[in-house]
Amino acid sequence: METTAPLLELHHVAKRFGGIQALSGIDFDVRRGEVHALVGENGAGKSTMMKILAGVIPDYEGEMVWQGRPVRLRNPRHALDLGIAMIHQELSVMPELTVAENIFLGRQPLRGGVVDWPRIFREAEAILAELGFAHVNVREPLERYPLGVHQLTEIARALTSGAELIIMDEPTSALSPMETRHLLELTRNLARSGKAVVYISHFLEEVTWVADRVTVLRDGRKIATLEAGTTDKQELVRLMLGKEAAFFEESYMGGRTVVDRHAASQPVLVVEGLTRPRTFTDVHLQLHPGEILGLYGLIGSGHFELGEAVYGLLKPTAGRILLEGRPVGVGPRRAIDRGVAYVPPSRRTGLFLEKPIYQNVTLPWLAQISGLVPQIPREVAVTDEVIRRVGVRPPDPLKEVVFLSGGNQQKVAIARWLVEPPKVFVVSEPTRGMDVGAKEEVMKILRELSQAGVGVLLISSEPETVLAASERILVMAKGRIVREFVGETVTKEQLLHAAAGELAEAR
Amino acid sequence: MANEPHDPNNPPSRWRTFLAKSREFAPVWTLLALILFFSVYSDSFLTLENAANILNQVALLAIMGTGITFVLLTAQIDLSVSYMATFAGVVAAYYTAGHLPQPWPLVAALLAAGALGWINGVGTARLGIPSFMVTLAMSLIASGLSLYLTRGRILFDLPPLSETLGSGRILGVKWLVIVAALTLLVGHLVLKYTRFGRYVYMTGANPKAAELAGVNTKGVITAVMVIGALTAGLAGVVGIGRLGSATPTAFDGMLIDAIGAVVLGGTSLFGGVGGIPQTIVGLLILGVLRNGLDQVSVDIYMKTLITGVILLAALVFNILFAGRKEA
Repeated sequence: METTAPLLELHHVAKRFGGIQALSGIDFDVRRGEVHALVGENGAGKSTMMKILAGVIPDYEGEMVWQGRPVRLRNPRHALDLGIAMIHQELSVMPELTVAENIFLGRQPLRGGVVDWPRIFREAEAILAELGFAHVNVREPLERYPLGVHQLTEIARALTSGAELIIMDEPTSALSPMETRHLLELTRNLARSGKAVVYISHFLEEVTWVADRVTVLRDGRKIATLEAGTTDKQELVRLMLGKEAAFFEESYMGGRTVVDRHAASQPVLVVEGLTRPRTFTDVHLQLHPGEILGLYGLIGSGHFELGEAVYGLLKPTAGRILLEGRPVGVGPRRAIDRGVAYVPPSRRTGLFLEKPIYQNVTLPWLAQISGLVPQIPREVAVTDEVIRRVGVRPPDPLKEVVFLSGGNQQKVAIARWLVEPPKVFVVSEPTRGMDVGAKEEVMKILRELSQAGVGVLLISSEPETVLAASERILVMAKGRIVREFVGETVTKEQLLHAAAGELAEAR
Repeated sequence: MANEPHDPNNPPSRWRTFLAKSREFAPVWTLLALILFFSVYSDSFLTLENAANILNQVALLAIMGTGITFVLLTAQIDLSVSYMATFAGVVAAYYTAGHLPQPWPLVAALLAAGALGWINGVGTARLGIPSFMVTLAMSLIASGLSLYLTRGRILFDLPPLSETLGSGRILGVKWLVIVAALTLLVGHLVLKYTRFGRYVYMTGANPKAAELAGVNTKGVITAVMVIGALTAGLAGVVGIGRLGSATPTAFDGMLIDAIGAVVLGGTSLFGGVGGIPQTIVGLLILGVLRNGLDQVSVDIYMKTLITGVILLAALVFNILFAGRKEA
């Protein structure tokens, strides 16, 4: 086994997107027989780097060396031909096809012009047995198997296509603890058999267990490459966050405990034992009037789905959601009428970009504003009032939403719910992709709402967002609430730890 | 992010406005160009009599097109309208021949069409079958019912009201044209001036966002499929009056023209954009084209080809400009 010469190297790789320097001066290498993990916050440059490695982004600066020879990947196909395969976060399998077909997707071996089925089944069985999954029947449709097997199928596909380097992007985010362990062991075995693996994950516990080396990215730069054996989660988090950590510690308005302020009041929203397979498990929470409750989790941890469930969009299989003591019921209309408001994590989902602001704002309230026949002047007047309150610029109710900046679009999405103030306001990712000024404005609106007695459930995968306004913070990981922070000073570091670190206990 | 802000002060907004405007007005220019062209190349085209002719020729399409406009605005499609029209005509004639007192045969015809539309709606909205498939199946069902009721024969006993509305005149104007104009008017009022109309547009523009804003999008889609069927039924029952009989395939061939006219006018196949004024323009384009080609010395065997090419061009245009949603 060759261990010294790297299989793949990057020298001074950089990439700009318009005005944003996504990567700069990256030196990186991965050797045969090694799992090399890549960690960093959202936006640190992991996915850009991965796309360069997989040939998705061909126009970068710097040099890539594959097996000692400089190469420039033209496209993913080219990467695959060389032996670089990527396992995507969102799997690219076809659940209706059999396991074997999925493994040989797009490159079925032929014999005499027809698909050589016996060979497909034989080889699929062989590769799965090699990976330690001999019990999987390759003739069964993939959909009969859990997600872990889907992931496995992708890995098997990569291996049978002759991959030497396998890039795994957040491979465990949707897996159960058991499946996760299998996958981690499998990953180690791949390395042991002489392959190289680039492993990208938020879950530092997994990273320190599976990796030989860890490279930390921050703001598009490589901060360090460490031997996994000589580092720990604390050090990794510190490197990922940099100096910022101290700043955010201060930014948290700590010291107030929810018990002091709200214990006397009845909770407006109670979630009891809420469960939905592969989404969330046994979630309990209480939201009091006038409280901003932060719900933090990494992407895929089920926190956004919990928000959807409160709004009646997702039906839980067990548990209850009570609003002022009574079940909320199914469907947004009922939720709205009961005083629940909801802003989805993606603006594109919640807004009518091609329609004027006023139509976006008044849609839930048409019946109240003007009965059977919409009175546009009244709609415009109502809209004018609420968009001025949240500071939409320009405050022109007739302007189409698409002409507004992202921050202003988000304010429109929020303004809609000020027409009739809700009792419970579920906001998912309210400040994603905004500049600092717009973020602060949105946070101010949320604080004002809470001061007016609205219970705000602030859901986000950005620690800053949750820290900026919450009085109490719950952390979700893999569908469970794993930690509650009440009346203490919380840092971004602690949040990340709770979300990424406490997997050990969940397992 | 993909949907990142257009800076409000940037030129792109102007460019977009221009695109939006040209999308809105292109059908009108097309119509004017066609009228100009045929006026120049034919002496008989630009006369009052011929104008009345054109209106009469597109009247049935207009009735059907009103419902189709609703359907397309929600980003659905109904491929069964012309067959439901045939079926409604057959039902009206069948019960008239069966001596059911008037106006019950007409009521039965509209109810029957409405029921088929409701099935279309439930299949699309509740069961999640693409409307394309549901209505394709429904076209066979409606067609089959027509054949079954008539046993393949032509029915000549028509409701008197059908005969009046289909071929009678009042004050020199054909009733058929009046019915068409009223249907378009009612459709326009509903779309522009009712809450339901707003829901139709918003459901088509972004079904998920409409649902999140508390709109019962499934109900809206079911309703537009019923409306599409009812207007088709209306076209059927007055159409038999115009033809003087009900045959088991009377209006089947109108499908492409009816949908084509709505799309020609500029109503988006992707929902949320368009309306009755656009449909009227589309109807006139189709009517002028069909009528004008008869009057200039074009090879009669080229007529269908030319109409098809123009329809295709309109569709390409439609897709091209709908594409900016993705931009």
